[in-house]
Amino acid sequence: MEQAAQRSSTIVASTSEGSNLDPISRVRKLLFRQMLVGIKDGRFFLGNFHCIDKQGNIILQDTVEYRSIRRSSPSPTEQRCLGMILIPSSCRTSCHVDCSIEEQLSLIQLKD
Amino acid sequence: MKPVGEEESSSSIHHDSSIPSGDNSVWADVSPLLSAACTDLQEGELINGDNFNLFAAMSALEIMDPKMDSGMVSTFYSIDEAIESGFAPVPISSDSTVNVQSIIDIMDHLLACEATWHMGHSLAQTVFSCIYVLRPERTSSQALLHSYCRVIRATCRAVVSVVSDARTNEEEDLFTMTYGLPFSGDEDAKGLLLLNAVEETICRQLRACKATRRRVLEALVTCLPSFMHFLHALNCMRRPQGRGLELARKHIAYCISELDSVLESEDFLRLNIVENGGNEIEESTTASGRSPIGFDPTLNKRLSAPTPPRAIKLLSWKKAIDYYVKLLHNLDQICVFSLEPDLEAVLQFLIQFQKSSPDLVARAHLQLLLVQDGKLYGRDTFLTICARSLALDVSKNHGLHTNEYILQLNQLMVNLLKILCANTPWQRRKLGKILNDWSIFHVQMGIAVGQMMQHDTSRASKNGDKSLLILNHIYGGLDEQINWVAIRFLMLGFDLDLYSPSEYCMVYWYMYIILWKLAERARFRVLIVVNTEERKAKRNKEYSRDMAREDRISLWVLFLKCQTCLAQGLTVMIAALRNEGMCLKSQGPFNTENEKFIQHFELLQKASLPEYDAYESFSKSTSHARLDYLPMYEYFHDAQKIAKDIKVGYANDPDKLAEVQGLEKVAERNIVAVNLFCQDRSLKVSFEFTHHPYFATAVVRRS
Repeated sequence: MEQAAQRSSTIVASTSEGSNLDPISRVRKLLFRQMLVGIKDGRFFLGNFHCIDKQGNIILQDTVEYRSIRRSSPSPTEQRCLGMILIPSSCRTSCHVDCSIEEQLSLIQLKD
Repeated sequence: MKPVGEEESSSSIHHDSSIPSGDNSVWADVSPLLSAACTDLQEGELINGDNFNLFAAMSALEIMDPKMDSGMVSTFYSIDEAIESGFAPVPISSDSTVNVQSIIDIMDHLLACEATWHMGHSLAQTVFSCIYVLRPERTSSQALLHSYCRVIRATCRAVVSVVSDARTNEEEDLFTMTYGLPFSGDEDAKGLLLLNAVEETICRQLRACKATRRRVLEALVTCLPSFMHFLHALNCMRRPQGRGLELARKHIAYCISELDSVLESEDFLRLNIVENGGNEIEESTTASGRSPIGFDPTLNKRLSAPTPPRAIKLLSWKKAIDYYVKLLHNLDQICVFSLEPDLEAVLQFLIQFQKSSPDLVARAHLQLLLVQDGKLYGRDTFLTICARSLALDVSKNHGLHTNEYILQLNQLMVNLLKILCANTPWQRRKLGKILNDWSIFHVQMGIAVGQMMQHDTSRASKNGDKSLLILNHIYGGLDEQINWVAIRFLMLGFDLDLYSPSEYCMVYWYMYIILWKLAERARFRVLIVVNTEERKAKRNKEYSRDMAREDRISLWVLFLKCQTCLAQGLTVMIAALRNEGMCLKSQGPFNTENEKFIQHFELLQKASLPEYDAYESFSKSTSHARLDYLPMYEYFHDAQKIAKDIKVGYANDPDKLAEVQGLEKVAERNIVAVNLFCQDRSLKVSFEFTHHPYFATAVVRRS
């Protein structure tokens, strides 16, 4: 698992194409993609990236909520469909996008 | 707090294991990119696609907002976690007296929960907030608690089934949603048997125990049977064609007397609790004032998606008991209903029943009793019922049952009865709407019957086939039914406070028009009935005329006449007062009188009630009214006189008698008022509904 996480970050780091685009255009290219957002109370939301504002509040569409059944992790998770949700930036702890390995991941990479 | 980077890596480990990304793809962290983009964004700027709609986006659920996010983690992550943390222990206490006391508290609280649910809150947040109810298998070692939890689940199931079958839950749409809560039927049915056994054991224990414990057990013995009888009563009432009503009534009577003794037991349960303030006890959901063990309304919050979590306040124990007493009385009212195959009796009963504004559960039971399989009480077709009200016999005319107009009429009647079982606001709205259906049907049937009459050869009637005659009479009776619906529609407006005093004049004018028509049609029906009965009597010497029926209809006609006179008198009186400037004109800054007229009576006019331009007729007939206009007294005098006459006829019907007495008083008081303000025109006049809910009494004050 840790390997997978590492792999994702290495892929991000290794690609360099598209890094000449500004961050706003690159985020624009993420629209309609599957986004996984984690929040402070341990839940995750998986939905289509719909909108983000200056404050970092995100709107996802067709969202599924994942939540662990017990406080102590790891534990089994429950899921349910929520539709359109707004995740305030204040409670967001992580944010990932579904990327194919073959795909150009440059748009995720930050300019140095 | 962990540093951001660490938290991200740990969360990516977690979601990688449980939330798969697509094939051949991985989750790539975009947080740094997003924050960089946010810094670059202008104030108020958004990154969004072409399909973005700000209005639609406003309806997004805001995560971590306690009013919208039902998934927010509250006390426990799950029921299992709550159980593991010892939130709902089994047994509740090792001290058996404390244990029983706690169980009584749980039962009390569940009672409050159930009543709150009946009031329209979600099942998940009320009854099923109890872990013992959610997981009854855990309590199997505790016979009392176990059987009680099963019984309450069975009761909930019975109520859900009644209400969803009757579909009376228009506005309380949460009511029948069970969200996949555990409702296992057969298992719960055993609860009753168990509870019976438990009761016996407790009675035995009661004979040999100490004083303090004794009181607790006594309290238990008084409340246990009422739960069982309640479930029995609900089940009996569901039997087809009202066959279980008599038995249900016994159970209900038992329940009511038990509830009374439960109320008495409350006092000594409270003796143990001294530290609680009086106020808290009034609000408390248990008789003892203690808070019960094993309840957490937030546990099922997520089940109520997609509706946002609602803040609910449970009824207090006292109010819950009051609710049950009312419910039981309403159910009892249903049980004593005679199930006569008589349309007038049914309609009269429905109106009487609705007077106490019964709650959802009682109304659902009544509806299911009245309409089963498209028949009245599941027994009589509406053709039989309608023909019976005209003293016609349809048993020989089987062809009629498949006649398309009769089938349509059947549907209309079923709808009407269902609507009359709904709550008042909904009932009025629907009555207004079905008026149109009725009037269209009336026109269509009129054309069809007219054509049939023209092509009719006298051969058919000689063969004894009276189908056409019956159809024709039923067609004639339709008009009465339509006007009945219209007058109910108008009168419900008073119940719902829809009319302002400045509009009383037009309301009474309209009521007068409808009542007059209704009385005419009813009188016509008397003639048909008398005619048919006489023919029968001639043919068959031994046939005795059903005088009781004739009398009843004639009495009904007089009753309508009395109301007609009152409505007419009130119209003229209010119009005169208005014209002489002694009371408010119906003119506001926003709507003209004509507009108000249309707003109130649009639905009636669409159904051609009356056929002519009602507003023009209304303004013409009221614009010249003056206080010295003599007939005004006469209308009230007539009403008073008729009321006096029919009181004798209604001597056996206390409800009707009370209403007639009310009408008489309204007439009497209005005569006095008219006399007073004719002499002194500086008096202030206002209207009250002290004697009758729909007919106003003028009250005169010196300014």
